[in-house]
Amino acid sequence: MKLRMKTAGVAAVSAALVLQLGCGSATTTNTASSSAAPKASEAAKDTSKETTAAKKDKVKLAFWDMHSDAESKFFKDLVDAYNKSQENVQIEYSTYDQGSYTTTKLPTGFASGEGPDIYMISPGDFMKFAKSGLMKDLTPDFPAGVKDDFLPASLDAVTYNGKIMALPFELELLGLYYNKEMLDKAGVQVPKTWDELHDAAKKLTADKVAGLIIPPDKGPYLNFIWYPLLWQQGGNVLTADGTKSTFNTPETAKALDFWGSFFKEGLSPKKLQLGPWEIENLGNKTAAMQIVGTWAINATEDKFKDVPIGLAPLPTPPGGKPATDAGGWKMAVNGQSKHADEAAKFVMWAFGSNDLSHALKWATEVKFAYSPRKSVVEKGKDIYTKGLRKVFTEEIYNSAIPEPRYPSEVVDAVGDAMQYVMYGKMSGADAAKAADAKINDLLSKQK
Amino acid sequence: MASRQSNARRTQEWLTAYSFLLPNILGLMTFVFIPIVYAFYVSLHDWNALSPKVFVGFQNYVTLMSDADWWHSVSRTLLFSVVYVPLLFCLALLSALLVSALRGRSVGAVRTMFLLPFAITSVISAIIAMFLLDPRNGLANQVLAAVGIGTQQFLGSPTQAIYCVIFTLLWINLGYNMTIFVSAIKEIPSDYFEAAHIDGATGFQRYRHITFPLLRETNTFILIVTTIASFQIFDQIMVMTKGGPMDSTEVSVLYIFKQAFQMLNMGYSSALAFVLFIIIFVLSMIQLKFFSSND
Repeated sequence: MKLRMKTAGVAAVSAALVLQLGCGSATTTNTASSSAAPKASEAAKDTSKETTAAKKDKVKLAFWDMHSDAESKFFKDLVDAYNKSQENVQIEYSTYDQGSYTTTKLPTGFASGEGPDIYMISPGDFMKFAKSGLMKDLTPDFPAGVKDDFLPASLDAVTYNGKIMALPFELELLGLYYNKEMLDKAGVQVPKTWDELHDAAKKLTADKVAGLIIPPDKGPYLNFIWYPLLWQQGGNVLTADGTKSTFNTPETAKALDFWGSFFKEGLSPKKLQLGPWEIENLGNKTAAMQIVGTWAINATEDKFKDVPIGLAPLPTPPGGKPATDAGGWKMAVNGQSKHADEAAKFVMWAFGSNDLSHALKWATEVKFAYSPRKSVVEKGKDIYTKGLRKVFTEEIYNSAIPEPRYPSEVVDAVGDAMQYVMYGKMSGADAAKAADAKINDLLSKQK
Repeated sequence: MASRQSNARRTQEWLTAYSFLLPNILGLMTFVFIPIVYAFYVSLHDWNALSPKVFVGFQNYVTLMSDADWWHSVSRTLLFSVVYVPLLFCLALLSALLVSALRGRSVGAVRTMFLLPFAITSVISAIIAMFLLDPRNGLANQVLAAVGIGTQQFLGSPTQAIYCVIFTLLWINLGYNMTIFVSAIKEIPSDYFEAAHIDGATGFQRYRHITFPLLRETNTFILIVTTIASFQIFDQIMVMTKGGPMDSTEVSVLYIFKQAFQMLNMGYSSALAFVLFIIIFVLSMIQLKFFSSND
């Protein structure tokens, strides 16, 4: 009797210990995900003071952002200007760490019924939110004539079931940045083909200098940089309607092998101290070349103006055509919000109206990006031809293909294939075959 | 008369005891037990946090049985545990014995040194370890180069990464466990040691016949707690490798996090979490039975 009670007591204590430790590590997880992030989110709470003065019958909207520093200030100023101009609507602006924005912040917000009315969406997470009814159909909210001003491909990227579910406001293109001095010293020409890129990286790799910086870690960014290698050959991951995999092709195998060769031969580091999207890799002279995007240009002109950085279009394979990836965030309205129409009005006022000033300021002053609207690129002609931007505008812009919006499982399967080849576990052809089977399996399970 | 007084006193003791325990019980109920029950409820549904839940019964549990990626993550977690726990235990015990033997002012400084990686938050320690292990610029490779060993990829190598993570966690957690052992060793009456010394026992004999038996409860505690903790390491791995390269450091907790927050499979990840809970619980019971059976 006593022994059974003792065992029961011991079992209860063990269970309690296990659960308490579970609770303990859960709290450290939360601090980890918020402390492991760059700057952001200090501006989060001070905007609530503004809305306490709002009248009771005013419509209150919540706008959750993921930008930081100057970019966050831009959106906050936008919100302030809108609030001043509106009698019946007040928007509350807050911003959160980008790393956990789409993984934890938004899902938990929506799951608890306290999600925002206005938020940001990236191509990687587009499908999840579009399918769940959390994106309002913005097609009827466009002012007359504005829709035609958008590049068709940029609107296709946000269309689901024939409806435009988000408003694109930036296009970030990829190019090959390089250190002019290092190339000159090694007697290397700016690479135009895959073979030239590979040889250049080989010649430029030294003890403390990496030949080419490309992302090594799995995730949406890894795929984002790699897709052009596939597109240049005319290949793609899925069919146009997104129902079947087209991954098991010689084009995929070639793209995977080419990518993997940089890591296998030690031309690209397998572990980076700085993020692969940071131009500082070139700025601090620990690399000769880097594939990175339009967002890096401002840094090359102020922080790293003493480093001779050049820019060229991505090299192409024999018989291939130029192609680059066009990423960028989009604004979305919560389809289940009680005030979806008012929220949509703000989104259109910001980037979808005949007043181009916001779009121009965002794309040319706050950061450097392309606008998906032709009139904005036309209006900002002077900026778009300044310095390295000229290379993007004249040599890269026309080959841009919007970043695909695959389900996370597909992104993961492609990432696995890439890593198997990078670490020498499989050849490109085998990895393509394995991933193809996995992707078809995943697609068949989806609704 | 007397029995009524003692009854009243017992009731008062009982009330006092529970009123002290009440805040903790309420906290545990709200933040641990109720969410666990809710998680089990969620595990019976298909839910992506954005759309309404769809009841699927035990379908998630059936699916996870044939999920190769899940069972690979479990085997990685077990490998991690099997290497980490004994190493931590032995190193903590060894350093505790050495620190207990120290005399004078150096004791405080040595103890502080051991506890420092733990005190500055595990995530920051993990980041420091990442810099030390950087293949191109890290101190570790520079030291190896000085003794003639070539550059290692460490966290960039699918085979070395998990051992680097283990090494980092040993470095972080050594101080904490060592301190527990030091306190337990201090509890042992010095008369025992004096008597043994008079009888001519060597240091090792003193350890084997006095220290070790009297540390049994502490040993059991450290072993069980470290095993449970080893199944739940998340922050450091997330910061250092995010589960890579090539999923070689993707332990069960990381797999669950990926399913929950990247794939938004809330129901499925809740089922996985439950299975992990059962695995840890069974292991803890086995350890408890094994180590306290000699009572």
